[in-house]
Amino acid sequence: MAAEVYRHAIGTFQSHSYANNVNHKQRLRNNFVRLVNNDSVSSNVLSSRGARYSSCSNRRSVIRSSASQTSVADPVSLSPSRTPTTDTNKKSNEAALILIRHGESLWNEKNLFTGCVDVPLSKKGIDEAIEAGKRISSIPVDVIFTSALIRAQMTAMLAMTQHRRKKVPIIIHNESEQARQWSQVFSEDTKKQSIPVIASWQLNERMYGELQGLNKQETADRYGKEQVHEWRRSYDTPPPNGESLEMCAERAVAYFRDQIEPQLLSGKNVMIAAHGNSLRSIIMYLDKLTSQEVISLELSTGIPMLYIFKEGRFIRRGSPIGPQEAGVYAYTKRLALYRQKLDEMF
Amino acid sequence: MAATFLNHPWGLQGSCCIPSSRKFASSSLRFPSSSLSWHGHKVRGSSSFSDDPAAFISDAIISSHRHESPSESERESESTLILIRHGESLWNEKNLFTGCCDVPLTRKGVEEAIEAGKRISYIPIDIIFTSVLIRAKMTAMLSMTQHHQKKVPIIIHNESEQATAWTRIYSEKTTKQSIPVITAWQLNERMYGELQGLNKQETAERYGKEKVHEWRRSFDIPPPKGESLEMCSERAVAYFKDFIEPQLKSGRHVMVAAHGNSLRSIIMYLEKLTSQEVMNLELSTGVPLLYIYKEGKFISRGSPVGTTEVGVYAYTQGLADYRQQFDEMSH
Repeated sequence: MAAEVYRHAIGTFQSHSYANNVNHKQRLRNNFVRLVNNDSVSSNVLSSRGARYSSCSNRRSVIRSSASQTSVADPVSLSPSRTPTTDTNKKSNEAALILIRHGESLWNEKNLFTGCVDVPLSKKGIDEAIEAGKRISSIPVDVIFTSALIRAQMTAMLAMTQHRRKKVPIIIHNESEQARQWSQVFSEDTKKQSIPVIASWQLNERMYGELQGLNKQETADRYGKEQVHEWRRSYDTPPPNGESLEMCAERAVAYFRDQIEPQLLSGKNVMIAAHGNSLRSIIMYLDKLTSQEVISLELSTGIPMLYIFKEGRFIRRGSPIGPQEAGVYAYTKRLALYRQKLDEMF
Repeated sequence: MAATFLNHPWGLQGSCCIPSSRKFASSSLRFPSSSLSWHGHKVRGSSSFSDDPAAFISDAIISSHRHESPSESERESESTLILIRHGESLWNEKNLFTGCCDVPLTRKGVEEAIEAGKRISYIPIDIIFTSVLIRAKMTAMLSMTQHHQKKVPIIIHNESEQATAWTRIYSEKTTKQSIPVITAWQLNERMYGELQGLNKQETAERYGKEKVHEWRRSFDIPPPKGESLEMCSERAVAYFKDFIEPQLKSGRHVMVAAHGNSLRSIIMYLEKLTSQEVMNLELSTGVPLLYIYKEGKFISRGSPVGTTEVGVYAYTQGLADYRQQFDEMSH
């Protein structure tokens, strides 16, 4: 079985010194990569309604590599550009993509339909964001995309307070010429230590129309339980004056392909902090799900999802482990090296 | 130069939608499409509830106000004003000039916001004003998680018709349980021009120590392409008088979460300070300041005591009654 071969490879890997045996290293790396790909193929099958997309059941333990140093400090311009970077990213053509769904908001707590109403996080939501941050603290982030809503922006900013690399997220303002000028940074060094944050309505939660602000009971009384169930769980039936999941997916995925994928293509590591429906839509695209499958997809809140973008393909890597969980870290060799660099820096 | 910037809104994301000032007559709802202005998306269906966002806010507040006890409405002549300066940001930590660069809070800044929230957890709040910068918005939202009342802050979006339509609430009851949050660029930190992003050492080397000291500490000398404290005051105080003071006049309790210089400017107005006095004014971060607005005057009431500090609470009879309601509710 794949698992046994895997364990064997781990054993062999650990008992050889990396620097001494280049051929062996190459062979092991090939095995490693192949195992990684096999695993990801088998885990692409989605199960039935209510299947949770969290890390718990699917965690794979991976080898901690002990390799030579690699430069981690990449030059980053404040406005994300589409020109390829000239660092190791380009050689391996591999970039990390982190998806985080924000945690509990004050209306979740009250059981009200939220949609695009701009409601902030509850105390619990704040904790969830910080926990999520701890899980991704050793994964590189070059650019951040969020929705226009405060709960996603706060989730991103709170998560980044936990990041070990100490680069500073800076929100880009383009709403007017003045906004752009007023928020300009005048130091190259500082720009290099910045992570641009781009806020976009296309990543907003699905707009819930006339249900926004209603509680679930009220709504069932007003419209009838079956009708409400249909709006919530169908793919293409929108609530009155609202969006269907299909409509939400259309604008979210279009944005992803136009603005986010080019970043990944140029080797930039991306984090997206958004909402249940906009992230489901994106995952539908990344994992090539059918509309039936996406309806049953549930994203845990505050648990980051990691994808590796490599050679034009998205490989799902589950969720980075929490800090209290025992396990070996590296999802790919490049990420292992990045983490090691952080360990050496601090 | 910096002067010309003052006449242009920082994108409608920031400007308040309550019409009353001549300044805003020129700002329209049309502006270049950017991803943040929610343009270009066809929304099915009509507007309902309220086409005028200003009405939405007034309605929300008026109806929530009516639900308060008779003794509260008798005291409409008195309202509270809370000023909170945000805590440590990631560039404060690195000792870089921040100005209007949109830098978030550090862990310490997050804690300061929560602490500030505990101090004001018993003071009524009907409406919140913040700048457009994330560190002030987060400070407001974090502090409100500590508040004892169950109303929910909701950020008002009026950067475009679509933004307004998409953020509409369709339940009267829920609207009454909401505290509108209005973001305004006029409450932003003083814009520091070409010093933004430079560290204090770098700047002293580039421009000379005295020059830098002059920019930081004078009232009317702006750094290159930036604002002087005087220019910052002009737009902050104008905003306060046009949009915030009317709320206080009508008996609403207001919280303003903003920055060192914009708040200093407002305090200069509230306490009628001279330019000399305002330059020496230092606002503690994360420590809320309380003012009582009564019969057209602002009375400074210092800072609400921290939760572990022994002290007598009631700043006014109205506030004491308000707090008592909560004490009774939990028994």
